[in-house]
Amino acid sequence: MDAFNNLIYGFSIALDPINIFYVFAGVFAGTVIGMLPGLGPISALALMIPLTFGMEPSSGLILMAGVYYGAIFGGSTSSILLNAPGVAGTVATSFDGYPLAKQGQAGKALAIAAYASFIGGTISIIFLMLVAPLLGRVAVSFGPAEYFSLMVLGLTAVVSLSDKSLVKGLIAAVVGVMISIMGIDLQTGTERFTFGTVHLLDGIDFLVVALGIFALAEVFYMLLRGGGGKEQPRNAIGSLRLTKQEVRQIAPPIGRSSILGFFTGVLPGAGATIGSFLGYSMEKRLAKDGDTFGKGNIKGVAAPESANNAACTGSFVPLLTLGVPGSGSTAVLLGALLVMGVSPGPAMLVDRPDVFWGVVASMYLGNIFLLVLNLPLIPLIAKILDLPRPLLLALILIFCMVGVYGMSFSVFDLLLLLGFGLLGLGMRLFGFPAAPLILALILGSIMEESMRRALQISGGDWSIFIDKPISLALLVVAALSLTLPLLRKFRAR
Amino acid sequence: MTRLNSNQIIALLLALFSVGYLAMAWQIPQFPLPRPIDSDLFPKVLGFTLLGLAVLLFFEAPAAGEPQPDGDSAESSETLLLRPWSRVVVTAIALAAYALLLVPVGFVLASTALCFGLGCYYGYRRHAVNLATSLGVVLTLYLTLTRVMGVYLPTGLLPF
Repeated sequence: MDAFNNLIYGFSIALDPINIFYVFAGVFAGTVIGMLPGLGPISALALMIPLTFGMEPSSGLILMAGVYYGAIFGGSTSSILLNAPGVAGTVATSFDGYPLAKQGQAGKALAIAAYASFIGGTISIIFLMLVAPLLGRVAVSFGPAEYFSLMVLGLTAVVSLSDKSLVKGLIAAVVGVMISIMGIDLQTGTERFTFGTVHLLDGIDFLVVALGIFALAEVFYMLLRGGGGKEQPRNAIGSLRLTKQEVRQIAPPIGRSSILGFFTGVLPGAGATIGSFLGYSMEKRLAKDGDTFGKGNIKGVAAPESANNAACTGSFVPLLTLGVPGSGSTAVLLGALLVMGVSPGPAMLVDRPDVFWGVVASMYLGNIFLLVLNLPLIPLIAKILDLPRPLLLALILIFCMVGVYGMSFSVFDLLLLLGFGLLGLGMRLFGFPAAPLILALILGSIMEESMRRALQISGGDWSIFIDKPISLALLVVAALSLTLPLLRKFRAR
Repeated sequence: MTRLNSNQIIALLLALFSVGYLAMAWQIPQFPLPRPIDSDLFPKVLGFTLLGLAVLLFFEAPAAGEPQPDGDSAESSETLLLRPWSRVVVTAIALAAYALLLVPVGFVLASTALCFGLGCYYGYRRHAVNLATSLGVVLTLYLTLTRVMGVYLPTGLLPF
């Protein structure tokens, strides 16, 4: 009953007209920004910080939370229509969303993304409300060894997705980790692989690699396949309606991925990206038609979309109850809260219940706004596919360049983007999957940091990773996720 | 002598890369204070892992459909500049030129030129529509980023 009373209290704050406006403004701004390849939730949240100066902390967080899950929601649109995920959490959505768009079912893919996001978000809010304090206690028990093992599991789960060749998937992952550790080593201040240039001291930004490997490589690939001058077939958007059979197909994946996504989001360092990849991976394994994943399976859109929105909500658990940001975006949120004079942590539920419960209640409103806002707009948004292909290709290139330049103001990064575009093209041509590289890029530096901290604690004793039961369990699951597909292949032969 | 397949060529390139990477990893300076593991350990592990994977890749048969070095290159009746690989090369050169000219020429001019030029090159023949779309999108982006979001973009030759 406590949770129910608290929720009523939260609604009394969220239903304040000014807060309703903030929820609406937040999700709208987030959706629009998230749709633009290159402008993800972190940029959107960072841009909002100045607006929250002088606001009530609960109102400020309500606005920023709306921007956050709005951007994740909006990111699916560019993933599906352009294969250009500006948000890491929607990379997995493009695996099946883009093939569906190419088959003339963009409307259906966008509608599934909207429903899945709504349901994933709503289910996860219930979890957030009911079990936040308990989950906070579990998450706090994760030390560096467990984090390292979790990152290993996240990577192997994605590598095992690459059907064609496990070796090529692993190579892509190793290269991703190599890219992620470039720059100044934060623990010692040592420069690594900077080639003496100041441009690489901070490493290479995720956006440069993601836009290069996905969007630019896609344009190059289309040019190579002779798609540059051809018009796409008419009626490319297709119907938004789902048949009863399709609803039955996507309902179980949405339910499972929502729960998985939420729990992934709760673990600091994991978040929407790992959540969406794990959701996708799980459904691919469970599905009888798993071999059609990556070719336009609607479950391949539903699973990562529900998981990433659920993980997005889940990441509020460590942020609000422990003061530990679960992702880059929640780190920006943490900064904003500190600016507003609120210190998230175990005492927050007692000291500032208005902030915690106000945000929880506002999320219900935000999810409804997102659905109401996005479903009618889908045909309008999907009109982007009606653009003549030559113009669309040129515009995608401009969006990529602007996205990167607007973030770093660096000509060097633009040239890097081009380099990664060509690398992405080579990877596509020779059957190297891009997803492990991208995930490794995100996880690599955290993985190394966790590994070194764990070894620092153990005095260099590597057995720390198998002495801790959670870490051991995660490593065993990681090993199984790599070996089971191999065993299955051998058995099939 | 047997010809190498695409996987074997890539494996050799990756092996060369990993050797170079390992050589650089060995040059990472040590932290003055003794630590259980230093900045060079993780890169060394990565270098050796990549080398091992390159060996495995060498012995893996390429999947059907992957381009092979001795494969037939489809002869095209199109002129050299319009062949698929030429399109990729020209686009890459255009993007590199855009990156280098963005600051001196300015965002609006450089982006409009890139968008319009590539649109024409890819085969869009309605030049007025192309120019209007390119200019419209670029100006919208420019005004949104500079006036609404406070992001600086180079003005270059134009006064605004």
